[in-house]
Amino acid sequence: MKKYILFLLPLVAFVGLLVFLYQGLFSDPRAHKSSLLEHTMPAFSLPDLMQTERQYSAEVFNGKVTLLNVWGVWCITCAIELPYLTQLQQEGKHIVGLYYDQDIDPDFGIKTVSRVQQEVTQKLSQLGNPYAFNIFDVKRDLSLDLGVTGAPETFLIDQHGRIRLHHIGDLNPRVWKNKFEVLYQELVAEQ
Amino acid sequence: MLAELGNLALVMALLMSLLLAIYPMWGAYKEHPQLMAMAKPLAIGMFVFTAFAYGCLTQSFLNDDFTVAYVANTSNSTLPIYYKITAVWGGHEGSFLLWVMIFSIWTVAVALFSKAIPIKMVARVLAILGAVGCGFYLFMLLTSNPFERLLPFFPIDGRDLNPLLQDFGMIIHPPMLYMGYVGFSVAFAFALAALISGQLDSTWARWSRPWTLAAWSFLTVGVALGSWWAYYELGWGGWWFWDPVENAAFMPWLAGTALVHSLAVTEKRKVFKAWTVLLAIAAFSLSLLGTFLVRSGILVSVHSFASDPSRGLFILGLLVIIIGGSLALFAWRGSLLRGSGRYELMSREVLLMGNNVFLTAATLVVLLGTLLPLVHKEIGLGSISIGAPFFDQMFTFLIVPFVFFMGLGPLSRWKNQNPQALYKQLLLAFGLSLSAALLINFNFEQMSYMAVLGILLSGWIVVTTVLEVLQRIEPLRLNNHLSLTQSLQKLSPSHWGMVSGHLGFAVTLIGISLVSAYGIESNVRMAIGDKAEVQGYEFVLNSVTEAQGPNYTAEHAEFEVFKQGGLVTQLVAEKRFYPVQRNSMTEAGIDSGITRDLFVAIGEQLENGDWAIRIYVKPFINWIWAGAFIMAFGGLLSICDRRYRMAKLASNPELMPELAGARQ
Amino acid sequence: MKAMSRLVCLLLGLQLAFTSVATEEKYPFENAQQRSLFMELSKELRCPKCQNQNLADSDAMIAADLKRKVHELVLAGNDKDQVISYMKQRYGDFVYYQPPVNSMTIWLWLLPALFIVLALAALVMSRKKVSVSLDAQQQQKINELLERDK
Repeated sequence: MKKYILFLLPLVAFVGLLVFLYQGLFSDPRAHKSSLLEHTMPAFSLPDLMQTERQYSAEVFNGKVTLLNVWGVWCITCAIELPYLTQLQQEGKHIVGLYYDQDIDPDFGIKTVSRVQQEVTQKLSQLGNPYAFNIFDVKRDLSLDLGVTGAPETFLIDQHGRIRLHHIGDLNPRVWKNKFEVLYQELVAEQ
Repeated sequence: MLAELGNLALVMALLMSLLLAIYPMWGAYKEHPQLMAMAKPLAIGMFVFTAFAYGCLTQSFLNDDFTVAYVANTSNSTLPIYYKITAVWGGHEGSFLLWVMIFSIWTVAVALFSKAIPIKMVARVLAILGAVGCGFYLFMLLTSNPFERLLPFFPIDGRDLNPLLQDFGMIIHPPMLYMGYVGFSVAFAFALAALISGQLDSTWARWSRPWTLAAWSFLTVGVALGSWWAYYELGWGGWWFWDPVENAAFMPWLAGTALVHSLAVTEKRKVFKAWTVLLAIAAFSLSLLGTFLVRSGILVSVHSFASDPSRGLFILGLLVIIIGGSLALFAWRGSLLRGSGRYELMSREVLLMGNNVFLTAATLVVLLGTLLPLVHKEIGLGSISIGAPFFDQMFTFLIVPFVFFMGLGPLSRWKNQNPQALYKQLLLAFGLSLSAALLINFNFEQMSYMAVLGILLSGWIVVTTVLEVLQRIEPLRLNNHLSLTQSLQKLSPSHWGMVSGHLGFAVTLIGISLVSAYGIESNVRMAIGDKAEVQGYEFVLNSVTEAQGPNYTAEHAEFEVFKQGGLVTQLVAEKRFYPVQRNSMTEAGIDSGITRDLFVAIGEQLENGDWAIRIYVKPFINWIWAGAFIMAFGGLLSICDRRYRMAKLASNPELMPELAGARQ
Repeated sequence: MKAMSRLVCLLLGLQLAFTSVATEEKYPFENAQQRSLFMELSKELRCPKCQNQNLADSDAMIAADLKRKVHELVLAGNDKDQVISYMKQRYGDFVYYQPPVNSMTIWLWLLPALFIVLALAALVMSRKKVSVSLDAQQQQKINELLERDK
């Protein structure tokens, strides 16, 4: 009898493995939880994209449920989600842009700020402007502190300035409904 | 038309494999010679139809037939002709066709070269291969048909082959790797046939040994080529990354290496039969698991094919049937496999199996390291990464006892070895290898303990291997009065195979130790005319020009390398842009040598017009791959041994130690 | 000893190792320790957006950003653990190629160790003693036969 158990062991191990392989098939290998959930926004001091003399800090998120959207004109998917974001904004959501540009770069940048502003204005007049304002993440320090891996990404921030949700990829009606809506309504109700 | 013919041929091959799975197996059960005899023609039929389908797809590539979806996705009219031929395996569907093509080659080879094996055994082996093939033909026809058309709307030109794959390494790496992967199916089939037949002796081990050695040799070459390709093509100078897909090829190699050794013990000494069967199942199962990991998109890897859950689900189903089925059979019949040989604690049996334990533990480490992130995430603990730091640490721990036993095993006798008789040789081996390690490492400025350890271990293998050969020829020289060369010639090819395999491993180990410890990497900014000095070599960037390739444009950088004022070499590095795929690629400039490689790659252009340049000096890196080739050569030498070609050898009483008096 | 090693150096045609960089490094450092720490970190930290690449190998923008941050942190005098925990705070355990030790990952070490111990024990226990009833001549004959081919 003892002998049989030993010979059965490889089969048992394989069946155990199968369960996870099966589950793995239906989950996105790249999706992972942000490690900043429930933390307050990291401290920063960054200029407004359009009026660079104006400075923002983390306190700007206090008192209002905010969607912080990471984007850039160079990002194709961002352009796709702009119209939907504009629609959300028209429904009364407070959306702030966190703008960064890969061509303004301490290592290999070639663009000037006024050039960027011009491109942004053009893009937003074309596709809709959902943003109450845009924070200009000049050296992408804030993005790094937020664990941003690229664009577009969207954070849901509650009225106390805490990060409640971090979404990687574009925001569309489906994502809003499945991931954002319930939590957003809760946060607004608390307010 | 060609695509339809190819499709039809695949359906025919499926039919053949189905019949192959049924008739001979039934024949073996009913002792029906005609049914069993059908195995060979069916195997040949399966091969012919698969080869025909393969030819059809190749011809479609050569014809630039972009109505075939697969051709449109992986080829382009501007692609050079040799890459059109190799583009056949440049994507999921075609590479799977190559997979089944190679599978049918192994099957037909077994059918043709097994005259010495009883017909019942061959029938069972081929039937198992037929059943496995059946699953894979179905998979291809139902989820990944390379002959699907894009009618009526087809593109004027194709989307081109991924530029990474437009390379010499791509021509040879996948076929070699698949020869290895798929080749383990033969060992698997022999083991299962033995389980089904309930044949309790270990003749099946002898029959399957040359097949296993062949598959293992191919896999060794395949993995080495993959590593070499990554080194010169990806432009970051690494040769192993512990990427899930690399691990997927490494696991069957580790299990296969264990199998090759355990088969030797089972064949010679009739012990550890169940373990050997389990390893044969494991080696092929790990190959299949690798196929699943690469093609289901379940893991994040640089190499994986486009993901598709339906394909993943289908392969998972096949895994359940093939691996689950064989492990169930093992659970049921495995306990019948009892060893009959006797041996002491200090004997070659125990030392060889001790090494099997470490090889299996290494397989387990790689398996856990590859799959645990998945499990970790699925049970809600979040994402983790398992990479080089973990694996390097674990393999350092495992390799020390492994190499120790590796030196000891061949020096010891079967059954019983007097430990005292070994002390002197071991002491000598340790002394010699330690001095070699220290002397070699004194040459490097900051001596690395890991490199000393690595050389010590390699030296241990080399010295014990030489001692073993001397020990083996000693009686020949004393008793038969043969000269050194005469007595060396008396050693069997399989003995030389073992020597070559072990020395090859030592060579690889030397390469790994030295390049890991003393490799220099330098990231610099260079303008035209700038000099960068790395480890005594002076790299001068002479020019960067625009160049035009057949299907790409490139920034073409020319370097000259000087050492103590003398010109060592000229290097050309390119950064290529492939417009069809909108993809850029770095083509590194490498000067290869026995003791070092010089490696330059150009990166992006910086704001002031400087170039970001990576300069690497990699000591002894080529030894890594050279060692792998020496190992594989050892495998081939062993196959050449006469005893695998002799028909009735298995029943020769003289070579059956049990019959000669050892059985009590 | 020094002379001896010089000799071997000549014999093997090996090169005494030294690095000095005339041109500007992409990531300049104050000393060799910092440089090698940076190299080590950029190999052991994972680019969060890439398929499966470390920072050193990746050309992605995020990898360049993280490398710059690592450079900054190393120059500021942070040690390895500090840089890693800085990155983990922002990008999670995922960013480091050495997995954290917890109730799940402990099996990465335990299971192979357990396997080795049990398998070696089984190997030692399951051996069957060679019977002593063979005379020396028989034993000699068997050994010869066994050594005939490996």
